[in-house]
Amino acid sequence: MTWNFELVHGPLGRPLSGLAWDGSGMLFSDVNHSSIHRWDPVGRTISTARKYTNRTNGLAFGANGVYYGGQSGSRRIARFMPDGSANVPASRVSGLVHNTPYLLAVDRQERIWFSDPIHRAMISGPGPQRFPFLDHQSVLRLSRDERNVWGVERMTFDTRAPAGVAVSPDGKTLNVAESDNEREGVRELRAYSIADDGTLGTCLVLHTFGSDHRGLHRGIEGLCVDIQGNIIACAGGQSSGPGPLVYIFSPTGAILETHAVPADQPLNCAFGDAGLGSLYVTTTAGHLFRVPSTGRTGYLPFPQGGR
Amino acid sequence: MEFEKLAPGFERIACGDMRLDVIDPDARVTEGPVWNRRTGEFFWVSITGSTIYKWSPGAGRSIVMHPSHKADGMTFDRQGRLVVAGWGWRRVWRRELDGSINTLCSHFDGVKFNSPNDIVIRSDGSIYFTDPPGALASVEMYGDDVQRYMDYCGVYRISPDGETTLAVKDLTYPNGLAFSPDESLLYINDTRDFVVNVFDVAPDGTLGNRRVFCEITGTDEGIPDGLKVDSEGNVYCTGPGGIHVFSAKGTMLGRLKVPAHVNNMGWGGDDWRSLFITSDTAVFRVRLGIPGTPTW
Repeated sequence: MTWNFELVHGPLGRPLSGLAWDGSGMLFSDVNHSSIHRWDPVGRTISTARKYTNRTNGLAFGANGVYYGGQSGSRRIARFMPDGSANVPASRVSGLVHNTPYLLAVDRQERIWFSDPIHRAMISGPGPQRFPFLDHQSVLRLSRDERNVWGVERMTFDTRAPAGVAVSPDGKTLNVAESDNEREGVRELRAYSIADDGTLGTCLVLHTFGSDHRGLHRGIEGLCVDIQGNIIACAGGQSSGPGPLVYIFSPTGAILETHAVPADQPLNCAFGDAGLGSLYVTTTAGHLFRVPSTGRTGYLPFPQGGR
Repeated sequence: MEFEKLAPGFERIACGDMRLDVIDPDARVTEGPVWNRRTGEFFWVSITGSTIYKWSPGAGRSIVMHPSHKADGMTFDRQGRLVVAGWGWRRVWRRELDGSINTLCSHFDGVKFNSPNDIVIRSDGSIYFTDPPGALASVEMYGDDVQRYMDYCGVYRISPDGETTLAVKDLTYPNGLAFSPDESLLYINDTRDFVVNVFDVAPDGTLGNRRVFCEITGTDEGIPDGLKVDSEGNVYCTGPGGIHVFSAKGTMLGRLKVPAHVNNMGWGGDDWRSLFITSDTAVFRVRLGIPGTPTW
């Protein structure tokens, strides 16, 4: 079926990044303006949900109206509370401050899986960078232990430029976009098995992006899953390859559909609207698109009853 | 210690072979330098280590308070109590003589402060402090709540009777502040704008007639952060490459080159001629020619 990309907002001339459906509206990150806005699809209005988010990128809901953000500018996952406050559950892995948390996914156990690449440009405060970056760029996981104390663990040991992450509906697979677009790097869609003890197994490579004389084919930035575990991913650009696309991959990597995005460099996507049948897409140039009927149903562990 | 003389007069501050002593070689993001003249002890904080330390010759370093909730600027009031710009704790608080803690203020007009950064007390007992948002965004300086609520970065005054008023509202990132020796002027630097502003202080404590006192320039690493005034009215401001020293007229006299990222400085010693320098990696002490303005 042909998708209708309806322009909801923008282009703003600056990136719009993470998306999170709150049950009745779509939150989206205005990274360089350090704010999160909310689109109300019924009233068709946009309001500012939160200011001073210090370059928060990815967004995802947990329980009880709490949502998490990859607060890249402060090198942490922020926990945005319903009362308007924000706190930091933990910000170190093995005693060291992690890099620049970027995109994230929350699973049914409210564990936050997040990519932790080094994005130096995201850090803009005055003064020196006092904490060195890690010697790896991995997917990390923020969770509570049995005493309810938050901590961060390293989950991948074979990534160099992780971007979007999504947990399958059965909780047994972590899909990861490994997208090293800057160098002659790996650009893959990967599926890691999640063991019962929460650790990751080896990964399957579901898709590999190529290059041609015009350059690298831009890999996946953000991704999400539907209730069948299919992976919906934003990739590509106008400068090379098949162009800016939303891909739909089966859980084993078959390309089920592609949809041309009517703007360069799609960044993130998330299901929203009643029934979670619409897909929202953000871009580098600051578009917020809405595809009203995708023929698919999104998977979201939170908000519960959000569908 | 290396220094750079740029104008006549600097030789009265720094000259010859000056020894840069290391008070604390194992420091982590230190700030809040202040001398307790009653006990002959130097106090400072490690922000990211969330600890208040003190040091005295012979006795060395000891911990005053841990955790200090990411405390930052400190001074003493006329009663000898430590008064603290709480930074990550988002309040101004006082450590009483018995060691207990009292919050002096945490909100203005019902809105939580950004992150009080530096603090100074006038002879009438009124407290002035700056409130930029740095602790909310900076890596590892966070407290319980990192959400910024105010759309401005104020400079506030707590009157002797405890009332908090907004003294300045329109600075970009107010940070270090200090009075001229006669308290007729208040200098406030701005970390984003790379300037030192100066205000006239009215008898009632209100501030007015803002103008730029000097610009902080240079290509070395360093930013306007701490600011202090010596007993002759010279202004010391952290900046690229160390500590920039200006005459009371705004002429740059010279620069003290510090081999670290300097966050603040403050005088101490019985003659107020020892300059203690808090940096990211060490706390230093150097003897200077002109005494600093004594802290109460």
